Amino acid sequence: MATRISAIAVALVAAVAAVAVGVPTAGLRLVLALIAALGVAAVAALTSARVRREHPVVARTLITVIVVAVALIGTARLNSNVDTDLSLGAAMTIVLLGLSFLTGSSGQISLGNGAFMGVGAFTVAIWANHHHSSPLILVLVLAVVAGAAVGFLLGLPATRLRGPYLAGMTLAFAVAFGAILNVFGSWTGGDSGLQLPNAENAPHWLTHLYPAGTASLSVNSVWLASLTVVAAGVALFFMANLFASRFGRSLRLVRDNDVAAELVGISLPRARVTAFVISAAYAALGGGLWTIVNNAVTPSTYGFALSVTILSLVVIGGIGTIPGAIIGGLIYAFSNSAIGWITAHTGLSPQGNVASQLNGIIFGALLVLTIVFAPLGISGAIRRLWARRSW
Amino acid sequence: MDAFWTSRVMSDILGGLTNGVIYALVALSLVLIWRSTRILNFAQGAMAMLAAYVGFAVLAPSTNYWVSMAVAIVAGVVLGGLTERTVVRTLYGKPEINPVVAMVGFLLVLESVAAAIWSTTSRSLPTPFSIIDWQLAGRPVAMSPFALYEVITAIVVMVVVAVVFQFTSLGLQLRAAALNPEVSRLLGVRVTRMLTLGWMLASGVGAVTAVLVASNYFTGLTPTTMDGVFAFGFIAAAVGGLDSPVGALVAGVLLGVAFQFVGDYVNSNAIILVALGLLIVSLMVRPSGLFTRRTERRV
Amino acid sequence: MVRTRRITIGGAAVALVLGMVMTSGGLAQGSPPKVPGVTAKQVTIGATVPLTGIAAQGYSEVAKAANAVFTWVNQHGGVNGRRIRYILKDDCYGTPGFGCTGNPNTVALTKQLIALPVFATVGSLGTPTQDSVRALLKANHVPQLFVNSGSKDWNNPKVYPGLFGWQTSYTVESKILGEYMLAHFSGQKVCFLGQHDDFGADGLLGLQDVGVNPIDSVMYDVAGLVTGGAGYFTPFIAKFQAEGCKVVYLDTIPGATDAALGNALALGYHPQWVISSVGADAVTVDAAFAGKPFPDPEIGAISFSYLPASLDTNVWNGWMREILLNDKADFPNFTATSPIDGNMAYGIGWGVAFVEALRAAGRNFTRASFLHTLITTSFQTPALVPLRYTATNHQGLMGGYIIQVRSASSTGVLNKTVFVTTSAAKSPVTVTTKLSTGIPAWLIK
Repeated sequence: MATRISAIAVALVAAVAAVAVGVPTAGLRLVLALIAALGVAAVAALTSARVRREHPVVARTLITVIVVAVALIGTARLNSNVDTDLSLGAAMTIVLLGLSFLTGSSGQISLGNGAFMGVGAFTVAIWANHHHSSPLILVLVLAVVAGAAVGFLLGLPATRLRGPYLAGMTLAFAVAFGAILNVFGSWTGGDSGLQLPNAENAPHWLTHLYPAGTASLSVNSVWLASLTVVAAGVALFFMANLFASRFGRSLRLVRDNDVAAELVGISLPRARVTAFVISAAYAALGGGLWTIVNNAVTPSTYGFALSVTILSLVVIGGIGTIPGAIIGGLIYAFSNSAIGWITAHTGLSPQGNVASQLNGIIFGALLVLTIVFAPLGISGAIRRLWARRSW
Repeated sequence: MDAFWTSRVMSDILGGLTNGVIYALVALSLVLIWRSTRILNFAQGAMAMLAAYVGFAVLAPSTNYWVSMAVAIVAGVVLGGLTERTVVRTLYGKPEINPVVAMVGFLLVLESVAAAIWSTTSRSLPTPFSIIDWQLAGRPVAMSPFALYEVITAIVVMVVVAVVFQFTSLGLQLRAAALNPEVSRLLGVRVTRMLTLGWMLASGVGAVTAVLVASNYFTGLTPTTMDGVFAFGFIAAAVGGLDSPVGALVAGVLLGVAFQFVGDYVNSNAIILVALGLLIVSLMVRPSGLFTRRTERRV
Repeated sequence: MVRTRRITIGGAAVALVLGMVMTSGGLAQGSPPKVPGVTAKQVTIGATVPLTGIAAQGYSEVAKAANAVFTWVNQHGGVNGRRIRYILKDDCYGTPGFGCTGNPNTVALTKQLIALPVFATVGSLGTPTQDSVRALLKANHVPQLFVNSGSKDWNNPKVYPGLFGWQTSYTVESKILGEYMLAHFSGQKVCFLGQHDDFGADGLLGLQDVGVNPIDSVMYDVAGLVTGGAGYFTPFIAKFQAEGCKVVYLDTIPGATDAALGNALALGYHPQWVISSVGADAVTVDAAFAGKPFPDPEIGAISFSYLPASLDTNVWNGWMREILLNDKADFPNFTATSPIDGNMAYGIGWGVAFVEALRAAGRNFTRASFLHTLITTSFQTPALVPLRYTATNHQGLMGGYIIQVRSASSTGVLNKTVFVTTSAAKSPVTVTTKLSTGIPAWLIK
């Protein structure tokens, strides 16, 4: 026991020391140290086999705390460009979790989750333009509610549709989304979209943690990255429990054998529509966060191309699994930098035709190759390698 | 009589017919593939686009229109066969979302590759007939020589497909392979070859469609030329029933005419909303299409 | 005993942690440069522009043409001893897909520019995209200069003192075209087709402001055009024909101009077209009709311009050709006989304006003093009217002249009169004699 305590203490000191180096003010050092301590404590608790075995909810909480703590410390230490990429990626992770749940648990596929993101994105923008000082949490809850409501409307026909028909219907929704927004042009701002009234949304207490004169851009980027990371953590926690819940298990039965599911008394339409609503709500939360990160929303962002991107990310990361969604989110966050790097190191003209199409060629090819050779994506491949390990 | 042909209602019907046959061809191509391989080909429009590029961009632009059209069809047929043999074959018997994802990825690859080779700049295709509408008593009839050529070409393609399926032994084998692969195989039908042939046929139909679309529209040929047309063609196929070629053709033409009326009497901006509404309602009423005979799923 | 040890270790750890938290100082933060983006040898500026994607056709040339100006200036000693470094970020007009390879997130790219840092953004393109970064740039004290769009949003000095437009506003343009229509097509029925955003809305307002009242006005959605193709316009044009409109005013982007002209041609409908400068560039519009068995339907259309590209005799044309030929990196295929299209002239225009402003600001300047120079000086650019900002007017050029499309690739000036007005309601359209046709001496080397 004592050895373990000492080990934890050493780890704590090491973590805090690593965190504190180069952090500009005492206040910020204190906040980061507390987060690091929380992370180390969570790791310590997780080492107990009893916790892992007998209290799965506690274990999932601890894992979430560790992931969020590491990411939060990262956001405070990275530069504002990486932070912005990370915020967009964290919000995308939420969207991917939703689609992963839909597919992984009910076997359905949606090509309309980009448009559901748009529902959340516009809800946030419209509300913020009419109520300047609403608390952030309220605005985000509204986005989730709006996404769930639209998801329910579209999910009703989905209850009777199977694979390709549902994919086609959600595709039509994604294609029509711009026109739908224009019907409400006086609210949604037509093709120009909407801007949020206030560009600086970092709270004062955070600004005070930094030395006077720190560029508002840096503080704001840290704030947005932290906000999206915490939101992604909360979404992750709920999703992990949902996957493991009774409802999650019954959905998997629907996916694998719908006849058997009906025999044991599961209502197929209700199960399918619920999965669809949850996936839409998750997409809307991610879209709402995008509006906050971007300070603006334009309808063209939420077209069919975004839905295809979402599908690619979730499949490449590993569809139907939580790690797959996180991998997909990371890929999204850093794909632009990676493709820029490839362009720079292959001698392609950055404005040439080939360089300008690399994104589509790479993602499209990865999508086909993943489905053909590794249908479970990167997370599935890692899991298989892990299972085959010889040590 | 002149007044009848140039009336608003008649203009809408003729204009709608011209658009409708295009949707019908896209829908037909989707149905052919769906019936033989149970795959909804989301890359159908992109494959057709690529075939059109092969016909009109690889050959010098001064080449005869009909030669280019023929090359495009051949390219479409070859591309269809290659796609089936390489990508699609690995997807048979997999969960039904796998082909959806793979074909969306294929769509992305084809459009990006086309843009990498030929850029996204629009390419103006030669038009073999005048696109200026005929006039009766000084007022336009909503039909030009080119539009008539489109309608006739579409009908020819449909008749050819119908003849192949109904009156040839190849057609019989194609239908048998689609209907019951195991029994067909026992009876000596080379099922795998039939599946490839189905894709080649559908892809050839797609190539004709893409050439018609790209030479008709003023926007010309671009890597995304077929995106909008594909969406409407898919809606036609889904409304008509993915199992029913006749349903696809009827639904395509009817949708074309309906959209023209919506555009004229309501607003062009409403067309896509009406299309989405029609799709949702029809799928709720008849989830497997208006023209498909209802088959109970067997346990 | 165990307990004591635990407490000792725990206490030591906590003390150590607190100590580190309280004492370890931040690494020395390099003191920020006095003026962000400006060193003794260089001024760094940036922009977000559509180099690929839906709006790249034509518009991708604009910022490159400005860079041709900077390249030439740098080769001739720079400005007050400083080179101009111009960083372009491809935001695909904020729209993914359509061959977009950049990052369709204008906000993220703008944050990269701010963090670089840049002295200012210069010549970023697009109304929705630039609207979305106004507040961000203001909060970081980064000037947002010569935004490429005709929106009125750029003229709001009270709220955005660092924000400046460049081209004539959509309203100014339609007011001047409207006056021309009153003088030459009076009594004829007018129909209006415009884009469903501020472009169409401001244009219609300008027409109505000078007393042109279209009997029918239609706003189209860009999304509908992208999905439905040219056929999407058929009902609009057929309706104008049925209503007997002899004059049709277009506030359209080039692709939409093509769709409108083509549909009318198919219907045998030949109204007098009046097309705003945004969608009228003769070379761009003709591309869709090349090789078709009928003449370019844009010939005869009336439009508006504030740039000299079509005036062969203009003193600027030789210099523009020289700098475009000189910039092989941006214009590898430009030859001595290539046409200088409207997009190139447009970009060269504000490129020159920025160099002029930088010269006027002197060797030692700050962001504040630069902005002060901008609103107190008049600049000679290739535009036909002087560029003159004031403390209350940040719009940019205030006028231009009427042109007519003469052939597939050329336009002619109808009368060499430059009209000037403002976006404000009921402000009169006047004829100016202060033509800005001169070329600054520093450009002749």
